[in-house]
Amino acid sequence: MKPPLYTIRSLVHAYDGGPPVLAIERLSVAAGSILGLVGPNGSGKSTLLKLLAFVEKPTRGEIRFKDRPAAPFSDAVRFQVTLLTQEPYLMRRSVHANVAYGLKLRGRSRDCRRQVAAALSLVGLAAERFADRKWYQLSGGEAQRVSLAARLALQPEALLLDEPTASVDAASAELIKAAVIRARDQWGTTLVIASHDRQWLYEICDDSLHLFRGRILESGADNLLFGPWQPGPAGFWHKPLAGGGVLRVPPPPDDQAVGVLDARAVSLTARGAASPPGLNTLDGVVSRLVLEKNTRRIVATISVGLLALTVKLDPERVQALHLYPGKAVRIHFAPQAVAWCDPA
Amino acid sequence: MDFLLGGFVTAIQLLLTGDGETYSAVFATVRVSGYSMAASLALGVPGGFFLGHFDFRGKRQLRLVVDTLLALPTVLIGLLVYAFLSQRGPLGGWGLLFTLPGIAIGQTLLALPVVVALTATAVEAMDRHLRTTLITLGVSRTQLLLSILWEGRLGILVAAATAYGRVTTEVGVSMMVGGNIKWLTRTMTTAIALETNKGQFAMGVALGLVLMAIAFVVNFSVFFLRRR
Repeated sequence: MKPPLYTIRSLVHAYDGGPPVLAIERLSVAAGSILGLVGPNGSGKSTLLKLLAFVEKPTRGEIRFKDRPAAPFSDAVRFQVTLLTQEPYLMRRSVHANVAYGLKLRGRSRDCRRQVAAALSLVGLAAERFADRKWYQLSGGEAQRVSLAARLALQPEALLLDEPTASVDAASAELIKAAVIRARDQWGTTLVIASHDRQWLYEICDDSLHLFRGRILESGADNLLFGPWQPGPAGFWHKPLAGGGVLRVPPPPDDQAVGVLDARAVSLTARGAASPPGLNTLDGVVSRLVLEKNTRRIVATISVGLLALTVKLDPERVQALHLYPGKAVRIHFAPQAVAWCDPA
Repeated sequence: MDFLLGGFVTAIQLLLTGDGETYSAVFATVRVSGYSMAASLALGVPGGFFLGHFDFRGKRQLRLVVDTLLALPTVLIGLLVYAFLSQRGPLGGWGLLFTLPGIAIGQTLLALPVVVALTATAVEAMDRHLRTTLITLGVSRTQLLLSILWEGRLGILVAAATAYGRVTTEVGVSMMVGGNIKWLTRTMTTAIALETNKGQFAMGVALGLVLMAIAFVVNFSVFFLRRR
């Protein structure tokens, strides 16, 4: 087993003396792996990426890189780690100069034009068309891809991507995916990627980390169930869903608590199948099917009114149910399968 | 209005024939503004960067002081510099009163708040992601500062052009500290004031035309560089 590239211990980070926005007791990121970060807005994904990129110093705790302590601007990480932020900034110069900037800092300006062209081609931009363009002559998606090319050109040991597909079209998202996988396969780059596009992440990540309110949720936190919850019969609490149906859960710590539901605890049947007693039974529609890279299982997204639930199935089960996007299905899960997030 | 028209025609003749007194004032202005701009940029750009980039206790108060100094009257600066450089003043021994370097000191004090305030504004206005981007590409601390200044070069250019406009058109400092000595410390603006008092419009109009030409060249340069 490869040694971890990153090791985090007792990390706490807060901005301007405010409350902690991130608290991670222990985390390791294996070298050469692709780790996905998922979680709602404000869950701490971008903060964690900035800390892993050594842009900021954590308020408390330690981040070790290759088992050595590291800090912003330190030689141990300056040329090894790079981050593509959610809203990448292009410097006021040409595309070529933007992509070549990091190469020049590293003293790799020899054969620069070829390196820049190769990096641009990785993100689907032809150097002859784009290299001489100014920063203001690019669309939002092109600027995003130029920024990624500037990072890929560096062939970094760690490449951190914050919502890399947020402002690009489907074709560009595929190009970015291919470039990311190539970076790992060719250069052994370790990738940590935050994205709201879970399906895109599932297709490329070896593992995923669920963040919520600045904390890492236990593995299996595929579905977050938000309140408000109301007391109901038989000791359960419930929430009426838009479009019909009721979600039953065990008693929450408070009526606004957030529940976590493991995708493996959810079963899927054809619409009209008998409802097992005591289980939540919700009718929905398959909205997406994706192959999970590391487990070879199928990740199905089921839309139940405004609620989207993730279910993980064996390929045989998908075949038996003849699942396809748009198919009406019924899902079941025990109320007791819902766990509650730490209110802190 | 004939005297104005006549003055304009004579002004053109003075410029075309290379009149010594007229060009002496032009060169004095160019020299003294060159000194003062060099000093105010050398001090003001780092100062403005510091004020715009870093957060520190008392930053808002300091910014208020700098913004207030933008409206500093030239005669007040002239008075203060005169007091310091006169024989009775603490810097009287330097012998700078009624010299071009003396005027340059006053003009530096005039231009400095302009350079500091506008550079700070330019640095503050830069995208908040720039710093993160530069760090993630691998800059050192020094490279970070230089790259941010380079990215804000247009704002700094505007600051320099505005400050240059202020120093070349001021009268108070040049008159009080320079003494308006013919062939020595007479600048374009003090010459215009003197010649107008004497009723000699031609030289005043000629120097006014040169001032306008300088303003045009400076602004055209800024316009040209902004397009690059």
